[in-house]
Amino acid sequence: MKPIVRLRGASFTYPGVHVPALHGLDFEVRHGEVIAVTGPIGAGTTTLLLVAAGFAPRLTGGTLAGERESLVARPGIVFATPWTQLTGLCHSVFAEVAFGPASHGVPRERVLAAAQRAMRQAQVEHLAEREPSTLSGGELQRVIVASALALEPDLLALDDPAAELDPAAADALYALLREVAEAGAAVLVATPDVERAAKAATRALLLERGRVVRDGTPTEVLA
Amino acid sequence: MSAVAAAAGFPVRWEGVRFGYTGTDVLHDVSLAIGAGESVALLGPNGAGKTTLTRMLMGLARPRAGRVSVGDWDVAAKRPHEMARRVGYAFQHADQQLFARTVADDVAFGPQRLGIGADQVSDVLRELGLAEVAGRHPYDLPAPLRKLVSLAGVFAMQPGVLVLDEPTAGFDRDLRGRVVGALRRRSEAGATVIAISHDLALVRAVAQREVVLEQGRIAADRRVSPSP
Repeated sequence: MKPIVRLRGASFTYPGVHVPALHGLDFEVRHGEVIAVTGPIGAGTTTLLLVAAGFAPRLTGGTLAGERESLVARPGIVFATPWTQLTGLCHSVFAEVAFGPASHGVPRERVLAAAQRAMRQAQVEHLAEREPSTLSGGELQRVIVASALALEPDLLALDDPAAELDPAAADALYALLREVAEAGAAVLVATPDVERAAKAATRALLLERGRVVRDGTPTEVLA
Repeated sequence: MSAVAAAAGFPVRWEGVRFGYTGTDVLHDVSLAIGAGESVALLGPNGAGKTTLTRMLMGLARPRAGRVSVGDWDVAAKRPHEMARRVGYAFQHADQQLFARTVADDVAFGPQRLGIGADQVSDVLRELGLAEVAGRHPYDLPAPLRKLVSLAGVFAMQPGVLVLDEPTAGFDRDLRGRVVGALRRRSEAGATVIAISHDLALVRAVAQREVVLEQGRIAADRRVSPSP
């Protein structure tokens, strides 16, 4: 099967700076993979997600050098700052989760079905009527995951998505990521929690100073 | 590291507190007393009411019934900016606290507003390993470092009560170690510390007491010994 994303000798530099945040990237992402991306703070894990999903430089500005081939049609992303992803326009969690597919012009019946399925997957059905601004940090993080899933992404990138979750919810989220990948999507998840990531990932990347220094099985890379 | 500047701790108390968002009760008749100088971890599943409970200490959430006090202050009679003289609150979402153009200016903002001078700002930046980024814009830093900057801003105000909501979420071992050291030094100096956290390594390192909240009620309250 053809990779959904392929990077060859790729470097990315944010606007206004001279030092690339990422350089020498050579890797492929395939459907069905859960790739754990880890490394020290500032190593470039967040930027790698943005580049792989096609959000950088398209939304961030900056310069991407080298080759990036992509078949990604519906990227989904969960930022490490989930509160920045609320629309600010919706007065219920259900409306918030449905907002993404609705704004893409998806027919109403499919929007409702996608939102309901995503909320069930992220275990936030009980929050459907809540005002999003009253959610706790962990609840909000799961709602944003649901919002990303409602878009039915073919590539899902998540930046430390369990940082604010209690241990049971974190385990459930990583199990869900496996299910999403097994259903055909590619999943990239950046996290410092290598123990939990190792259980869920099919592959891992270790970054240091903007370079991928290890690429292999979670056991090889995260040991 | 020399002794840190910290105000003497205050006891805090919730008495018969109830709170609800529209149509949803979050806290049910919660009573809890924390002694001056205690280090307490507030634990429990997502949505249990931990953040709401602690926001009451700043007057950012007002109980529907019951009373909240910090030392001899009834929080109901105070505005949030007045409570800031006793309670330093590090929000779960650090970006809600950062707005200055440099890390140093952001950390200095609180002490300046409280009129306690900004002498200790450089000490706190050094203590948390942020001196090298003091001149950077906070939003040019990775999310975990922004969170550390927000903690520095709270520490620099030298509050008698420190309330930290998930202070190490997203942190690696190195950053967590910096926070653990800073909390231990403030606890030794007499500050009251309340930390909401799912980070068991942090809890084990600093907590003398664990209070578990479940579905808006206290489900457990136990003394523990911090690991060395």
